[in-house]
Formats: sequence, C-alpha cells, structure tokens
Amino acid sequence: MKRGWLMRMLGFTYNEEGLGELAGLAAALGLEAYALAVGSRDSVADYSYSVFKRIYYAPRMSTDQAFAVISDLYDKIKPDMIVAPSLKDNTTVLAMLASNKKLAMFTEAFGIVLMEGKIRAKRRVMGGRAEAYYEASTPIALTIARGYYAPPASSEKGAGLEEVKPPASKLTILSVEVKEKGSVDLESASIVVGVGRGFRRKEDLRLAEQLASLLNGVVGASRPIVADYGWLSEDRWIGISGKKIKPKIYIAIGISGAPQHMAAVMDAETIVAINKDKNAPVFQYADYGVVADLYKFVPKLIEKLREKLGGR
Amino acid sequence: MALRIAVLVKASLDPNMLRSKNNGLLDEHAMPLALSEYDKNAVEAAVQLRERNGGSVTVLSVLTWGPVARRLREFEQVIREALAMGADDAHIIVDDALVPGDPASTAEALAALAKALGGFDIYIAGEASMDMISGQVPARLAALLNLPYIGYARSIEIANGAIRAKRDLEGYIEHVEAPLPCVVSVTGEINKPRIPTLIQVRRAFRKPIKRYSVADIGLNKVYKPLISEIRVISVKRRNIVIEGDNMDDIAAKLADIIAGLLPR
Ligand SMILES: Cc1cc2nc3c(=O)[nH]c(=O)nc-3n(C[C@H](O)[C@H](O)[C@H](O)COP(=O)(O)OP(=O)(O)OC[C@H]3O[C@@H](n4cnc5c(N)ncnc54)[C@H](O)[C@@H]3O)c2cc1C
Repeated sequence: MKRGWLMRMLGFTYNEEGLGELAGLAAALGLEAYALAVGSRDSVADYSYSVFKRIYYAPRMSTDQAFAVISDLYDKIKPDMIVAPSLKDNTTVLAMLASNKKLAMFTEAFGIVLMEGKIRAKRRVMGGRAEAYYEASTPIALTIARGYYAPPASSEKGAGLEEVKPPASKLTILSVEVKEKGSVDLESASIVVGVGRGFRRKEDLRLAEQLASLLNGVVGASRPIVADYGWLSEDRWIGISGKKIKPKIYIAIGISGAPQHMAAVMDAETIVAINKDKNAPVFQYADYGVVADLYKFVPKLIEKLREKLGGR
Repeated sequence: MALRIAVLVKASLDPNMLRSKNNGLLDEHAMPLALSEYDKNAVEAAVQLRERNGGSVTVLSVLTWGPVARRLREFEQVIREALAMGADDAHIIVDDALVPGDPASTAEALAALAKALGGFDIYIAGEASMDMISGQVPARLAALLNLPYIGYARSIEIANGAIRAKRDLEGYIEHVEAPLPCVVSVTGEINKPRIPTLIQVRRAFRKPIKRYSVADIGLNKVYKPLISEIRVISVKRRNIVIEGDNMDDIAAKLADIIAGLLPR
C-alpha cells in the first residue's frame, strides 16, 4: 500500500485463534503489527503470522495482569491502534488500557477505514437495530466485530515470539468450569428453527428438533434458552451476543422478537414466526406469521410437512 | 460488615421503541429513556447484597442523552425506578458537556463522583447498556479508581472483606476472588430483577436524588463524542399473517409455503 504514513497496531487476544483475525486486519489495512496473546509458546507459534513484527505472550494472565502488561507494551511500542477480537475479557483489558491512557475506544467495530491520524468505523447500536458511524483521531482502542476480518491469505508463520512476565494479580482464579461444547454450525445452516421462552420445558424442544430434522435444518435459540436455562449449548445462541445467521429460512417459535435477537437474523431470506401473542414484535420481522399456541400448532405443521415431503 | 454499595445505572434509549426519520437516521428525540435492561440485574444484585450483608445501596448515574432540559424529568423517573427496586439514594450528573455520552467521559464522571462521595466498597454495573452496548464503563471505572475488576459475573457473594464471583465467559465459567473495594459487572442471568410494588414506587419519591454538574465534581477531562450519525437498519418483510378455517388448514398452508422455499 502506497501512502505517506504508516500506522502501527498493537493487537491483544485471550484466544490464540484471535491472532488470525488480527493478522487479517493488519494485512488488509497495511499496518505495522505487534501483538500480545495469552497462550503457551507452542499454541501461539501456530498463529505466528509473519505479518507480525513480534508477538509477546504469557501462558496465563488475569485481566488485571494483562492490563499491566499491555500498558507497558503501549508505552514501548507507541501504537496508533490497539485492537482485539470481540471477546468479553479482551474488551475488559482494552477498556482498562484505554481508560488509563486516556484513549477513546469503540467495541465490535467493522468497516474500518484509516486516514492520516484518523480512523472511521461502524458499529451496531440500539440492540443491533442501527449502525453508528464513528470517527476518531488516533491513538484509539477498538475491538473488531466477529466475522469481518479473516486470517490473511498468506499463512506464512514465524513471527518472533517473546515471553512476558506478568506482575502479581489482585484477582485469584479459584477454578475454571468448561461449558458443554456443541458443534452446530448455525452460521452456515440453510434452515434454522429458533426456540424461545415460549417453550416451557427442556423436553419440549423435541418438537423443534423434529421440525428441524424434517427440513434438514438445525435448532438455534434465544439467549434465555442458552444462557439462563442452559437447555442448549452456546453454539446455538442467536443474537447480538451470540451468533449472527443468514439461512434461507428462519422459523422463530415462541420468540418475542427482541431487537437483540432479531438483529442477528435480518439476513435470513425468509422469516417465519409462530407466537401465540398477535402483538408480539416478532411479527414485524416476519414474512409469514402464525398466531397460535406452539404446542398445538407445531405438531400439526410437522404432520403436514411429513405428508408433503414424504419420506424425508 | 455494613457494605457501602454503589450501583451504576444508565437511562438508555429503549431499543424496543426504535424510531427513525424519513431519511433513515435514528430519531433519538422520539425515543423514550428507560432503565437499561441489565442494569436492573445490577440493582437487584446490589439490593440482595445489602439484604444479606447490611449497608446501603447508592445509585450513580450520568445523563447521556439530551437535550438536557427536556430529558431531565424522564431521567429522574428512571432513577426513581432503581430507587423503587430498593436502592436508598441517588447521585446523578447532568451536564451538557456529557451529552451525547461517550463511555470514556461517562467513566471519568462516575469516577470523579465516586471520589467526591468518599468511595464505595463495591461498584456494580450491568454487562452492557441496551442502547450503545459498549460494555466499557465498569472496566474503565475500575482502571480510573485503581480497583480490581470482575467482569460478567453471574453470581456474587461477599465474605471476610472479599468478593467471590462466577464469571460467565465464552466457553467457560471462571470462579474468582478479589479483595474489596472492587468493581463488578453482572450478566442478565445473575438474577430476576424484582418488579417494585405500588407502595415501593410511592416511597421512592421520598428518597433523595442529588444532582451535580461537571464543575461540581471537579471533572476536567471530557472526551469528544465520536459518533457522526446513527442509521436505522430497515426491515422489509412481507408481514403476511396466515389465516384459515382451523389450525389444520393454517398448518397446511404454512407447510406449502415452507416446502416451496426448501433448497432442492
Ligand atoms: C445487551 C443485551 C444483549 C442481548 N443479547 C441477546 C442475544 O444475543 N440473543 C437473544 O436472543 N436475546 C438477547 N438479549 C435479550 C433480549 O432482550 C430478550 O430478553 C430475549 O431475546 C427474549 O427471549 P425470548 O424471545 O425467548 O423470550 P420472551 O421475550 O419471554 O418471549 C417469549 C415469547 O413466547 C411466546 N409464547 C409463550 N408461550 C407460547 C406458546 N405456548 N406458543 C407460542 N408462543 C408462546 C410469548 O408470546 C412471547 O412472545 C439481549 C439483551 C441485552 C440488553
């Protein structure tokens, strides 16, 4: 890229895969890139894209330790942009750094454009239903929205690695519980059946499973079904804090249509809503709506589809 | 130990009442302010801590949507809701310099206010506001006050001058402990916010709300707002409600439609 100025990026990430996104961004925007990652030397080496001048790493860091380390690196490297993939603890560490260094910050940015000493970007606001256009002068901190910056085409690795030693932490990590992991790929599914709090018990989700399998689709869910009740694993979570989907057909069952949920299904080709409340906001987002009790209606829909689709 | 608990709340534009102008820009003036969804969980968590440990719950808030003169009453109503849920008193910052808000300025203002009030044992906020969803303010506040920060807690308890929390993160739950004072953000799943009774709503009118300007709290660093415009994403759907003689009929019609759309 030919221009009279160069921007320097300091990336940060808690998950090593995040180095791929950071490298993708650095390559796309022509940045001089450095990064700090949490991970072992071996796992970081797997993502040591050669676009990085250097990758600093530590096997483990609490958020306040990462904050201390990145503050030192900030003073040393003097970056124009401090960037992290969207991840809860990445946001925390960047916000602490930004606060400490008196920097502006925006989270989940996309459409990033650089000018001399300036950056423009967009982010979703209002529960995901609107786009805000930001302009700020550098240095700036930002997290990047998922799915916009893929790892660079050249997978060449071998950036220099340097271990850092974090200072003592005020936080004591007592234990870590790994959540049940699913393997459903909602993002590339062509039929998604979404379930919400209209379902009264976990066992009742079988109705949605039956419908989905009849259509060769998969079941996704609103936030309460995953995060509050734990009826489904996190890979099924649809919404601004979960997955964004773009199926041919999205069938929302017992979902009220909150902006934070619907914002993530707007790219669906067709949206069908089944809800017993005719005033539910979900109908405003639907191509086809049915006002009915899901417990009475969905079994009938399955029956009719079976007749039509035969032995599928 | 009687805890001095601060709860940080935001009067957010209600995204369930989204309004746009003819040119597609957000019509923020036509949208009401409401107590941000997950800040209700923060208030509930604060009130529960007081119920268990004794002490007081103080609401801290910055008005971030203007015009200040027109929004003031609405802002106070939002604060009264937090008071009706059980908070004891409120300190609010209302100043043209902080409108429209930016998380950096909001955090600076809250930090200055907290210091002016002599500091608290624990600061509780929601994980993100429902309008701007930045999720920065509590982490920024922790850095400004030089306190430990526990983000995304879905349970908290206090014992022996320390806080224990379960943090709900992508793929795992982390159990952590930190000494007080400490800043915490809570997820929407930590509790079920209480709905105040009529008597509590009435009583909230007698609880004190103290108002400050930027000058009152000695705030000198105010960031420039970064947003040039906000554009509503338009929804164009057919909005056909399928009707029929009975449920079988409706199911047959929807089955036809779905079958016709299926990839071959
Ligand atoms: C910052 C933030 C981030 C968020 N992120 C997300 C996110 O990523 N994803 C997400 O989904 N939400 C998210 N939310 C939460 C969101 O605001 C809603 O609370 C949530 O989406 C509601 O889920 P629901 O529709 O399943 O439940 P509800 O809103 O309770 O709706 C249940 C619906 O089921 C209907 N119903 C009940 N019984 C029946 C029946 N027998 N037959 C048919 N219909 C029935 C009811 O009429 C109702 O409309 C977020 C909120 C905030 C503030």
